[in-house]
Amino acid sequence: MNKQPILILLVMLLSSWAVPAVEDNFAFDDPAKRAAYLRLTEELRCPMCQNQNIADSDAMIAHDMRRKVYTLLQQGKSEQQVIDYMKARYGDFVHYRPPVTLATFWLWALPILFAAAALIYVVVRRKPAMPEDMAAKLARAEKLLEQDK
Amino acid sequence: MKKMPLVIIPLVLFALLVVFLFQGLFSDPRALDSQVVGKPLPHFELPDLMQPQTIYTPEVFKGDVTIVNVWGVWCVTCAVELPYLTQLSQQGVKFVGLYFDQDLDPDFGTKTLDRVQTEVTQMLGRYGNPYSFNIFDVYRDTSLDLGVTGAPEHFVIDKQGIVRMHHIGDINERVWASKVGPLYDQLQAQTFSSLKASQAGGEGE
Repeated sequence: MNKQPILILLVMLLSSWAVPAVEDNFAFDDPAKRAAYLRLTEELRCPMCQNQNIADSDAMIAHDMRRKVYTLLQQGKSEQQVIDYMKARYGDFVHYRPPVTLATFWLWALPILFAAAALIYVVVRRKPAMPEDMAAKLARAEKLLEQDK
Repeated sequence: MKKMPLVIIPLVLFALLVVFLFQGLFSDPRALDSQVVGKPLPHFELPDLMQPQTIYTPEVFKGDVTIVNVWGVWCVTCAVELPYLTQLSQQGVKFVGLYFDQDLDPDFGTKTLDRVQTEVTQMLGRYGNPYSFNIFDVYRDTSLDLGVTGAPEHFVIDKQGIVRMHHIGDINERVWASKVGPLYDQLQAQTFSSLKASQAGGEGE
């Protein structure tokens, strides 16, 4: 059996992932705004197709959000203002960078706490294993043997 | 004696992990924290779907408990829930449609209003019409303001025009009995004066 056709098909399938799912035609006169648009659509998360950003998603809501990002940028809003605008409607969920709150704090704290606990455990554990004075040990053993007699 | 706690620690951690992951089995990833619950509806001025010269603002919801149903003819689940919603509306539940169209791209309008109206009339004729009226969210801006992710979605609005619940997905008998219905009855029972009292209490906290 010739495996080449399968291989070609596989390569074609894999490469098709890299193609952006959507193409919009938004005209920017300012290259900085264009860069901001591309950054924002990468960073904002689609509430419908979760785990896709809005640049990648073809859901209608992602379409509308891209259009909104474009409109807001054209109105002269800053990137942070656009993010806040979306957060006010879809919650913190909509941005891929979660803010530090009491609930999300543990994402950073738990690994550090775990490492610290492990370190303490190792250090505490090692202490009883410290080599004792051999002579004292032998003396004690002698004593026990004496008793057994 | 000394070894006891050390054996227990991994067991406890494992048990906690099991509880956490087990809960995850039943959590709905699409249920987001709604940002509009407890707030008045965001401002809008939108036309009636059938009589575009009529313009609605959030004022239209004052005085009645209303369920705003976000829907469209292109949405299959909406068609599925229409008969049940119609049945509820016959029992006195007030439904208002927030209609938006998928093919009607605001920037490259491809669908005429006539066509949308015909499709809506056809679909409501076939499955039942629970709506007092339909608000046409032409540019889908109000949907965005409400944090709508798709259709169908429902907003329970109290007599003062404040959003009390955002339900993502359809309303069927189970959802009505366990989630939407109890709140609806509770809001319906509230008189205007008790509402004001509870609001004053809420602000005092």
